Amino acid sequence: MNKKVVSIILGIMCFLLTYGIAIQIKTVNNSNSTISTNAEENNLRSEVLKYKEKYDNRYLELEKAEKTLEKEREKITKNNAELTSLEENIKNGNKILGLSEVTGPGIIVRLQDNQSKNITGIFDLSKLIVHDLDVLSVVNELKNAGAEAISVNEQRIVPTTSITCDGNVVKINGEKVGTPFEIKAIGLPEQLAALSRQGGYLSILEDDRVETDLKKSNSITIPKYSGVIDFKYAKKK
Amino acid sequence: MIFVAILLGCIVGAILGINAPIISYTYSSFLAIAVIAALDSVFGGITSVLNGKFDLKIFISGFFCNAILSILLTYLGQKLNVDIYLAAIVVFVGRMFTNLTIIRRYYIDKWSEKVKQRNIKSQNEE
Repeated sequence: MNKKVVSIILGIMCFLLTYGIAIQIKTVNNSNSTISTNAEENNLRSEVLKYKEKYDNRYLELEKAEKTLEKEREKITKNNAELTSLEENIKNGNKILGLSEVTGPGIIVRLQDNQSKNITGIFDLSKLIVHDLDVLSVVNELKNAGAEAISVNEQRIVPTTSITCDGNVVKINGEKVGTPFEIKAIGLPEQLAALSRQGGYLSILEDDRVETDLKKSNSITIPKYSGVIDFKYAKKK
Repeated sequence: MIFVAILLGCIVGAILGINAPIISYTYSSFLAIAVIAALDSVFGGITSVLNGKFDLKIFISGFFCNAILSILLTYLGQKLNVDIYLAAIVVFVGRMFTNLTIIRRYYIDKWSEKVKQRNIKSQNEE
């Protein structure tokens, strides 16, 4: 072997080695696991990370499968009028239940804890914070104003949704959601925007010095509900 | 030429590695063990150069085979719920230390010989 071949081979090997080291360092840095002295803790942490990854992968698979299922169904029902109408029924049902992504005109409401550091006057500090009940009331008022689809921080509001207090955060659909809250609602924008009327809930919040913001929009996309609606006890008669 | 190639490989590897996408956390333990194995072969290679027994074929095969075998053993260990990678780390790092000792002794011997010769030379001049 002459010198050229040797140097090329050694160069490639060095390349592989440093490449591997760099990727490894990056991966370790990115997994944001503060390495603890406790071996058990480390194992548990890596286990959690693994399960999270597995969950994400499975979820992607599920989404892909759902898409193929829809395509297949469309292909099969294309030539049959009865099946097509049934398919339309299913789609309508999904839309109402919140199992499909929807777009349309509506409003975006933003609620944020008061961020200013020097607040004057005697004041109940708890009022500066957006609580679960505030979110719930806003959602309620939007529903009353004819909202057809609502989401809070990308969590779709469906019939089984609960909005509860979970310490520092609010729990919606079992997921933790924190300030700022971005509540999207699809409906007639003028009607929904009545939320900011005098004496409406937004004005109450503003009196409590919560930072609020309301925007009308012609095109809002609301994601679908990511969980499963499973009926065990309610049976059709 | 050889040193230029090594340096170039290191620099290109580091730059590409920094810009590469991160691998999933599940596989990072495999990559770590492969890197340790490869480092072990590099130190082994340096030692064999110093001993004058360097063979490129053995070096290359050791570099890749050690890395792949250690990955396979780690995988087997995960399947059997035995931490085989610990054994691999002990062996590789232990060998690394042995090789580092040999390298250190070689250079210290060389240096002390030089000092001795210089002393002899200065004594002769006197």
